[in-house]
Amino acid sequence: MKETLRLQYDALVIGGGIAGLQSALDLADQDFKVAVIEKDATIGGKMIRLSKVFPTLDCASCITTPKMAAAAHHDNIDLFTYCEVNSLDRSQGRLKASITQKPRYVDPDKCIGCRQCEYQCPVYVPDQEQGGFNLRKAVYIPFSNAIPQLALIDVEHCALCGKCAKVCPTEAIDYFQQPEDFVIEAKTAVLATGFKLTPMDQKKEYGQGQIPNVISSLQMERLLAPHGPYQRVIRPSDGKEPDSIAYVQCAGSRDLSLGISYCSRVCCMYAIKQAMLLSGALPLADITIYYMDIRAFGKGYEQFFQNAKAMGIEFVKAKVGRIEQGENHNVLLRIEEQEGDGRVVRREHDLVVLSLGMVPDWNPAGICPVGTGDDAFIKCVRPKLAPTLTEMEGVFVAGVAAGPKDIVDTIAEAGAAAMEASNYLNSSASGRAA
Amino acid sequence: MGKPDKEAMKALRKQRKAYIDRAQQEMKKQRKLIKAIKEQIKDEPKTVPRIASEAKLQADQVLLYVAALRKYGQVVEVDKDGDYFTYKLDAEA
Amino acid sequence: MSTNQEKKATGEQKKVGIYICHCGGNISDHVDVEKLAENVKDLDGVAVVHTNTFMCSDPGQELIQNDIRDGKVNRVVVASCAPSLHELTFRGAIKRAGMNPYLYEHANIREQVSWVHHGDQATEKATGLVAGAVAKALRLQPLEPIRVEARRHATVIGAGVAGLRAACDLACRGLEVALIEKSPFIGGRTASLGRLVPTGEQAEEVITQIAAKAMANDKVTIYSCTEVVGFEGFVGNFRLTLKRKPPEEPYSAAEPQKIRMDHLEKGEFLPAAGIFPGDVPDKEQEIFLETGAIVMATGFRSYVPGEGEYGYLHSDKVITLAELVELIARYPDRRGRFLQVKGKPVRRMAFIHCVGSRQIPGIHEPDQDGRLNEYCSRTCCAATLQAAVQIRSSFPETQIFDFYRDIRTYGRGQEEVYREASRQRVTFFRFEPEDPPRVQKSSGGKFPLLVSVKDTLTFGEQIDVPVDLVVLATGMEPTPIKELVEMMKLPVGADGFLQEVHPKLRPVEVANTGILLAGTCQAPMDVGEACNAAQAAAAKTTAMLARGYVELDPFVARVDPERCKGTGLCREACPIEGAIELKERQVDGKTVVQAQITPALCTGCGICVAVCPSRALDINGWTLEQYEAMVDAIVAA
Ligand SMILES: Cc1cc2nc3c(=O)[nH]c(=O)nc-3n(C[C@H](O)[C@H](O)[C@H](O)COP(=O)(O)OP(=O)(O)OC[C@H]3O[C@@H](n4cnc5c(N)ncnc54)[C@H](O)[C@@H]3O)c2cc1C
Ligand SMILES: Cc1cc2nc3c(=O)[nH]c(=O)nc-3n(C[C@H](O)[C@H](O)[C@H](O)COP(=O)(O)OP(=O)(O)OC[C@H]3O[C@@H](n4cnc5c(N)ncnc54)[C@H](O)[C@@H]3O)c2cc1C
Ligand code: SF4
Ligand code: SF4
Repeated sequence: MKETLRLQYDALVIGGGIAGLQSALDLADQDFKVAVIEKDATIGGKMIRLSKVFPTLDCASCITTPKMAAAAHHDNIDLFTYCEVNSLDRSQGRLKASITQKPRYVDPDKCIGCRQCEYQCPVYVPDQEQGGFNLRKAVYIPFSNAIPQLALIDVEHCALCGKCAKVCPTEAIDYFQQPEDFVIEAKTAVLATGFKLTPMDQKKEYGQGQIPNVISSLQMERLLAPHGPYQRVIRPSDGKEPDSIAYVQCAGSRDLSLGISYCSRVCCMYAIKQAMLLSGALPLADITIYYMDIRAFGKGYEQFFQNAKAMGIEFVKAKVGRIEQGENHNVLLRIEEQEGDGRVVRREHDLVVLSLGMVPDWNPAGICPVGTGDDAFIKCVRPKLAPTLTEMEGVFVAGVAAGPKDIVDTIAEAGAAAMEASNYLNSSASGRAA
Repeated sequence: MGKPDKEAMKALRKQRKAYIDRAQQEMKKQRKLIKAIKEQIKDEPKTVPRIASEAKLQADQVLLYVAALRKYGQVVEVDKDGDYFTYKLDAEA
Repeated sequence: MSTNQEKKATGEQKKVGIYICHCGGNISDHVDVEKLAENVKDLDGVAVVHTNTFMCSDPGQELIQNDIRDGKVNRVVVASCAPSLHELTFRGAIKRAGMNPYLYEHANIREQVSWVHHGDQATEKATGLVAGAVAKALRLQPLEPIRVEARRHATVIGAGVAGLRAACDLACRGLEVALIEKSPFIGGRTASLGRLVPTGEQAEEVITQIAAKAMANDKVTIYSCTEVVGFEGFVGNFRLTLKRKPPEEPYSAAEPQKIRMDHLEKGEFLPAAGIFPGDVPDKEQEIFLETGAIVMATGFRSYVPGEGEYGYLHSDKVITLAELVELIARYPDRRGRFLQVKGKPVRRMAFIHCVGSRQIPGIHEPDQDGRLNEYCSRTCCAATLQAAVQIRSSFPETQIFDFYRDIRTYGRGQEEVYREASRQRVTFFRFEPEDPPRVQKSSGGKFPLLVSVKDTLTFGEQIDVPVDLVVLATGMEPTPIKELVEMMKLPVGADGFLQEVHPKLRPVEVANTGILLAGTCQAPMDVGEACNAAQAAAAKTTAMLARGYVELDPFVARVDPERCKGTGLCREACPIEGAIELKERQVDGKTVVQAQITPALCTGCGICVAVCPSRALDINGWTLEQYEAMVDAIVAA
């Protein structure tokens, strides 16, 4: 049997979203050697999948790609994508992570990212990177600015027809690739495992994800993105350019019936942002935001909100009780207005966006002894003075892994986690990795 | 990967039989759908609802495949007809 | 000079590569990128033209690098977004491909073109800008960054929780730290708080912990009662003049008598004042300090309502949240039927949110300095509800009415406080900014004050609530640091807080290299957020100073010794002390006086270039010749 590969680093970062990348860069810039483990086939996290970002309305790619590229090219950073962390424990003053490299069925040293395979592959698969609104192939590169630019085969949909192997100019396709286990040893770690959206299918009153023109906010990000599924905003049921679009706030947050009592903190702002982008893309469309409280608390956010109001976006303080399928692919909302005369009214829209909240993408239970809070996000043991400390010695947390937050707050926290990790490296006796 | 070993490929096919069967069935459906859509728009640009009703397909499926065909360079968006855009087979593709 | 002559002069043929970015539609929706490529491909010296959806992405950068490695290009022009965003990205890519990173020119065809022009005009203007960039690129010289030694010493201004946090972290990473605090105490505004929302920790304990850590670290020198009065130098080598003087002001708003410090022991906590760091100067002294980087942590002050704003100052029963919180903090264990304020029981009280925050032009009046606080102060909602919950639990018969616009309990654990307040039967009313609550003195009746509001939660019903006390949830304003801002030329945003370079790309740095931001001097934050920001700033500072040197852009003035006649006009014109000096030099056995530049001080503003009568001065990377060529090319395009 082959001996397991053991790699040595100063710091290990789990999660290659914006939090993980920023922590890695801040550590690497202090001359520490860093390994970043990402479970996805590309780094970048949610941010690289967004359209534009509040409050500056920079395009998300413009801000994320350079950070991704900086991490990819940094002498002190190694990226391990498409990897699963099986365990992380501490013994004799060192952290040991056992990791599995999932097979891409493509040799990473040979693939040049030309996408010939993707063009030739005969099987179409719904592309989750496009909210399921477009298709990819069974062999594919996640998206045009993914890092690394490596193809991978989705075996569950692969017909094993051999076309990609035939067309690949560098003979990179390897149908026989196997998972490979390896070990990373480091002295400190940053957990930056981020979030996923609260599931669409949980709330009965909101149609459980079965009403075609009720979409999630991340799906709307794709509709608005420069390389979106339709390259314009049309609704998924029939391609109509919507005249009236509604946002349902706190869909999946502040909702005890779903067991999610907390505020997800970004949904107000992203809804306002999307509404602004929509009124740019579809100047004639009516856009309504049904909300409980607008939480525009960050630097420049309240001004952003007031601008949106001035642009004519309608803000209605109301609770959306029920969402139903209407006629002509339209969507019916039953709302209890909290202002006005408080009747239950029905409103019809062409397209409805659920401003879904955030739940953690990763549960450390069984993998490492890091506790979580009532909200299931990673527990911070000193939230005031050292917000990135976890229950495990030498292991820190950053970004949404430690509770919902926007990119600005995530980046600050990632810097803080890097500071704690470098302090830890500095104070622990055994010195740096070779 | 050099020339894949025939025997090994056979073994792999056996091992992945369930996936492969499903993928092949999918492919069959997909080919039919794509053919039907392309047939509709080879001479004249049409909207998604029109393609759907004339080819007796579901509109959301039509849109999905039109989007994919556009992405892989076989279909182009043409003009707008009311609230809908029209699509046509790309003559050059 | 034509390119042909230049080719002879340098012996190398100049081959410009042009790389045009779609910016995923941001540019290509308005600029016809293919046409632009066509327009510029035959310009003098252009070897290749490429377009890409995202030039800044990895595949985009590789395009450039491959052309360099293949010897196809030796000058690079990227036409994309503003250089402030990605100039460094592309320079880095070029450098990694083995080329001098300064043989690069950036054409901004997004902010300067596609975001402001449309149609043919946009493509036309983009063509002009790219042509100009090519003309300049042909005249670029390789440059080297200026390397200056950096002191492994950092200065933190302000010893609130953010300043203390930054100081501890910097010291832990081996830097010497000077922590400068203008008051005789450290701990900042947190010293006036009680139970912190949402954890319920005692503020006193929190700051005592971090202050003790700072005081125990011998790398941290605390200068209390001290202000910065002189500032010069540059990153790595700032020189500060400090003034330490005996305290004169009172330190507590609630008990405004002068605190006697001779009884205090080092490390002792004094409510509303902070932790006593040891000595107090008995006479004025001046201190000089050399330091590598400066972390600003000057914090915030609470908004002070104007006279008559919700009855403030017209009735002593109208107080601010800061005053209430300080009051509760002083007596954390007190219980009873009613909360007592100023010796009187409070049977019913009202909180009014967003006082001095979320102000809207046209609805709210600016204060006498013209300030209008359009931002949300972020901490007051949760702090208000925390105070409400605390009062309801300790003084169960005090009724609470809460008047709000939006409840912003966004943070982890904060929504629970809101829920708890509702559970404890705090009554909420919601108002629109156009129809704020009115606070009036009651005529007769059992309660001295009457709060009336058009409540939008009950469909615009007019509601009158008689109360004993009104608490205004006042927001945050930046601590006034006008002198520092002027002296250090710090960038200030429209909201009056210190301004970062970019909230996502460089969130804790200001445009002046070597100066960083920590805590509420940048924006409203709670204690945890202020500590995060402080640690992020400390990480950046450490990365900057750890190597013992810093590298600066070489875009500074240079003197042509052939031409300089030593008139000294440049020195008179230069706005920066010491950036340009007259020095004696030996030329052919004769002593001549000529200008000499200190590159680390020169900001490259170009004023000297304009005044030199003999054209002896130029800015590296921005020479007059380059400008002229650009103008010609733009006009010709
Ligand atoms: C619809 C929407 C719009 C938004 N718009 C904005 C906006 O305009 N402006 C703004 O500031 N914020 C916005 N946000 C918030 C923003 O997305 C987050 O603040 C940000 O993405 C958080 O980054 P992160 O790195 O913490 O998490 P993520 O982006 O979730 O990254 C986490 C990474 O860790 C990886 N990972 C998870 N588990 C593991 C594991 N076990 N092993 C290895 N890797 C793992 C994931 O694959 C992922 O790559 C928006 C959010 C949504 C949902
Ligand atoms: C009413 C109220 C209630 C709050 N409740 C909570 C709560 O429950 N939980 C929570 O987490 N947060 C709360 N906060 C927020 C909390 O107070 C701040 O987050 C925290 O104080 C910010 O710390 P800082 O270091 O940034 O600023 P500060 O605490 O303002 O410290 C700044 C320091 O800099 C010094 N300084 C200023 N100018 C100079 C100068 N020119 N030279 C030298 N020194 C200078 C000041 O003297 C001060 O010591 C509350 C705030 C308010 C107003
Ligand atoms: S595997 Fe081959 S064909 Fe597929 S993308 Fe890579 S190089 Fe291209
Ligand atoms: S935190 Fe609440 S009270 Fe404070 S300004 Fe924001 S919305 Fe108003």
